[in-house]
Amino acid sequence: MASDLENITGKAAKLSIEPIYDTNWSDMPDDIKLECIEQMELKEIFRMSLRCTAKAERSLVDSQKIKFTDGILCTNDECLVFILYHNKKSIVTKHSKDVTDGYESMKHIMKIGVFEKLIIAFTNPLANNVQFMTDEGLFTARNIEFNAWHSDKVIPVLRKMKNGVESIKINSTLSEELDQILALSHVQNVPYWHIQHYEQTDSLYMVAQMWIDTNSKIGSVFQVSVFGDGSFEEFLKHFDDRILSKSEKRVRIRTNNSDRHILMEFGTIQDFIYQYFRLMVISAEMEESEYDDNCKEWIFKMDQDVRYVNELLNIEGYDEYDDSDEFDELGNYRRNDNDGYWDSDD
Amino acid sequence: MSSTEQGTSSAAPAEPTTAPESAAAPEVPESFYYVHGKDKVVHKVSAGALQHSALIHGMISNLGYTEEQAKANPFPFENIDGDILQMVVDWCNQHKGKPTPPEDTNLPKQKEKLFDLVLAVNYLEIKELLTYCCKQVAMMVKGKSPEEIREIWMIPTDAEDEAAEKEAKKRAGKEAAGETAAAAGDAK
Repeated sequence: MASDLENITGKAAKLSIEPIYDTNWSDMPDDIKLECIEQMELKEIFRMSLRCTAKAERSLVDSQKIKFTDGILCTNDECLVFILYHNKKSIVTKHSKDVTDGYESMKHIMKIGVFEKLIIAFTNPLANNVQFMTDEGLFTARNIEFNAWHSDKVIPVLRKMKNGVESIKINSTLSEELDQILALSHVQNVPYWHIQHYEQTDSLYMVAQMWIDTNSKIGSVFQVSVFGDGSFEEFLKHFDDRILSKSEKRVRIRTNNSDRHILMEFGTIQDFIYQYFRLMVISAEMEESEYDDNCKEWIFKMDQDVRYVNELLNIEGYDEYDDSDEFDELGNYRRNDNDGYWDSDD
Repeated sequence: MSSTEQGTSSAAPAEPTTAPESAAAPEVPESFYYVHGKDKVVHKVSAGALQHSALIHGMISNLGYTEEQAKANPFPFENIDGDILQMVVDWCNQHKGKPTPPEDTNLPKQKEKLFDLVLAVNYLEIKELLTYCCKQVAMMVKGKSPEEIREIWMIPTDAEDEAAEKEAKKRAGKEAAGETAAAAGDAK
């Protein structure tokens, strides 16, 4: 017993920390510094301030990831704006008229940020920055959305994404580059992705062919909205020898894997010019009775404008629309009934 | 070794508390250990309070002992200042068997003391207290500019770092040259 205690006290003495005089931040081991940095909040800027004190502190701060629920990065011809949300609260908004300076800040945020949802709406100035396009750094986001983005910048950004992307929403016009997009591993493996307002008629068969070639997982979904006819027909033509069943609204084809089929569905919404399609990898055992006949739900998922206008059309009395009726600041339809108030109940 | 016993736990081993009338099993008396810091002042701490320290808990777990043996062999933490160890012991005693609150406002505000406490707590592996301390460290520079942070925490600038490195290399070079010359002299 006594020897046990002697051993332990000896061990404690050996383990004792080295003498330290005038203890300060620089004397802290990195793991403690990181623990302290974790307690700092980005919104209070000082975490960013610490980053600016010296090289060593910068690399330390940069090694610490921050979770953002949402991140919106957008540019126009004059400035760069970041809106970052932590637990759905806006925590940082930065406007920068100097695009190069803005780029540096953005690079830092993208490096440390782990985004639940990242919305990118850049126009030319930043997207054309050669450094941005060639930078080795990768983004970490579970869901990414491109809005009003010059389509030729979608591919470089997707290439900069780390693995683990769960949805890709391309809400900007793509024209020629679908084959390059389909070659990206994120796109090949993502459970859900869509393209809005696609200008060609080749998307359905190209995506289905990619899924066949890569033996994509059951549950993979692709949706597209196109203007004009031709997509449905091209799909039929391309997979003529694979068709298992077809109707006006659906086509089911076999893949090279006997366990899984691909189901193509067609949907429209009254008064809308776009045609909507959904492609899904389904189990070969799925019965026709299990098909989902409510196309509105999946169309609304990809096109919020359609959802919004559809809701508007369903407001009683909308047909009697008056020029004096307006939309409020939140985009809700309001009827001016001369009672001094705007309300949607009238 | 000075054997001044301090702290709230310096009383004799726990007196049996009033047992509930219906209690079937007799309560096991609480065991105590002894620790001292640089100042050799010995603190008597209960095993329950020491559970906060993963390091000490790991050392004493499953160890049978007598009061005399424990008293005769206090754990020496020679490089922890006495006042810092006292703070740690007090904190462990205060939070013995209690859930830790979300904030602890009783931590030292003085910079050097706080950093010393952080190092000691980190070494003793007291996770909750370390979290409080790190929060307190973070609060020290809340809202401060990089220059202010550098001043408060005495962080050298990159230029100062480089200059110090150059100076150290220069000194090492001189020392090496001196040693070579001395060795050559000895050889002659």
